Amino acid sequence: MTPKSKIHQASFRDPSGYMIHDGEVLRRVINPIYFPQYKKLKSSGFFDTLIKKGLLISHEETSVSESEIVITPEKIPFITNPYEWSFEQFKHAALLTLQIQKYALSKGFILKDASAYNVTFHKGKPIFIDTLSFDFYEENTPWRAYKQFITHFFGPLILAKYHGTDIFKMLQTHIDGIPVKLIASLLPKKTKFSSTLFTNIHLLAKMESKHSEDYKAETKKAKLSKKAQNNILESLFGYIKDLKVQEATEWGNYYAKTNYDALAFEGKKQLIREWVIDSKAKTLIDVGGNDGTFARTVIDQLDHVMVTDIDSNAVDDNYYQSQQHKEHNMLPFVCDVLQPAPGIGFNNTERSSLIQRLVEYRPDVTMALALIHHVTLSGNVPFEKSAEFFAQFSDRLIIEFPKRTDSWVTSLLVRKREFINHFDFYNQENFEDGYQQYFQIEKKQPIDGTERVLYLMKRK
Amino acid sequence: MSNFSVIFLYFDPGLGAMIVQGLVAAAAGILLFSKNVMYKVKSFFGIAKKEEDTYDSIDIEEDEIHENDSKK
Repeated sequence: MTPKSKIHQASFRDPSGYMIHDGEVLRRVINPIYFPQYKKLKSSGFFDTLIKKGLLISHEETSVSESEIVITPEKIPFITNPYEWSFEQFKHAALLTLQIQKYALSKGFILKDASAYNVTFHKGKPIFIDTLSFDFYEENTPWRAYKQFITHFFGPLILAKYHGTDIFKMLQTHIDGIPVKLIASLLPKKTKFSSTLFTNIHLLAKMESKHSEDYKAETKKAKLSKKAQNNILESLFGYIKDLKVQEATEWGNYYAKTNYDALAFEGKKQLIREWVIDSKAKTLIDVGGNDGTFARTVIDQLDHVMVTDIDSNAVDDNYYQSQQHKEHNMLPFVCDVLQPAPGIGFNNTERSSLIQRLVEYRPDVTMALALIHHVTLSGNVPFEKSAEFFAQFSDRLIIEFPKRTDSWVTSLLVRKREFINHFDFYNQENFEDGYQQYFQIEKKQPIDGTERVLYLMKRK
Repeated sequence: MSNFSVIFLYFDPGLGAMIVQGLVAAAAGILLFSKNVMYKVKSFFGIAKKEEDTYDSIDIEEDEIHENDSKK
């Protein structure tokens, strides 16, 4: 038996099996209750097809005994959670889930749950990671994970369409998806005139409250033909595929608005490339990296690159580019440095916090370009505090310091109005003092044609 | 196959959600049918637009797999 301490913190809901930490390796233990399903999924070639198509994470069978089967899935460098996805990423994860359910149905299986945590991003694409989410299809039964699909995927997407992608953050407080009733109440009245939205959300909400006291578990009584279920899947797929978000962007055309010229831009790129190559880094995270422009200058040197931004549109741009260029080592996701994703769920450990995941990931290099003035002046975070943040997970830090004379800094300072004197500390000397509490400055280079200085630091 | 079938009730699928699927499917069926008709009409007049998306179809193509099977 597996010692309880080794069981993965997120792995307790499904009785079919659980994940364990075997040293550095994550393995999946399958309980005898799930043997029939597992064996059939394997022997029928169902797993093989989905794995070959890159839709399901691949795995190897590690051991087989009467009491347990152990499989070892391919390692995923970094898990992003639904509240860290951009709109397109969320959309693609939803579409993947429908694709898999429709395929499963055609082969006599179903997805027994449709949790958004069954999907993450790997090698530039969404991928299904819960190998034990399948069960046998029973003729003429409705999809038991239908409601979960609505609360985890469809509802949040529709809400984002009307209220912006910030709505995805609601999933931090609702680990099992946004309740249908809440989704319905947050949607504009006109959505009742769409047959898809009326049936899938408003009618569902009504039926749910009508039948909320189902003490006898009468769910088995409902019937639905396979053809009818396929219609639901196809119509949801078509609807989601066409969804667009109307949202003004925070940075948008950021690089069109930069306060320095093309020559300085190129100079900065070259400097970054030089330093990253010198450091022999294999993994990198660019915090506040917009659409990945600077990370892309070194992407060919690295095994894995992550680029985060507060602006979901910038992450979308980056995701789009990575798909266009078929970059397998780029992982964009949404992150607000001033409020990184917390640990959520039971015990606060089911989904770990961003910091914890970053500490485990340990990037060789962390980049923070044109970020410190926002953190310090908009977020009022003292230098030694932001230094402490970076020092938790980075060995090397490439950080750009815009001086007070930089036009962006000036404009942030002006907005402080009568409190402007409270920010006199914002200067290069204090920045260096603050950061030297945790880091050692290895290199320091003013960027020609700008009011900015680039630093390379090593953690003490 | 139903002998093996184990329905895991580790979360409540919701009776309302199970019942409503019949109505959802009916609405979806009508919508898909009319879309299909519209598409055929548009293609007839040559005004149907081709869509570009990384996820253009819900169906997973199995061509390669069939080939592999036939080789066995």
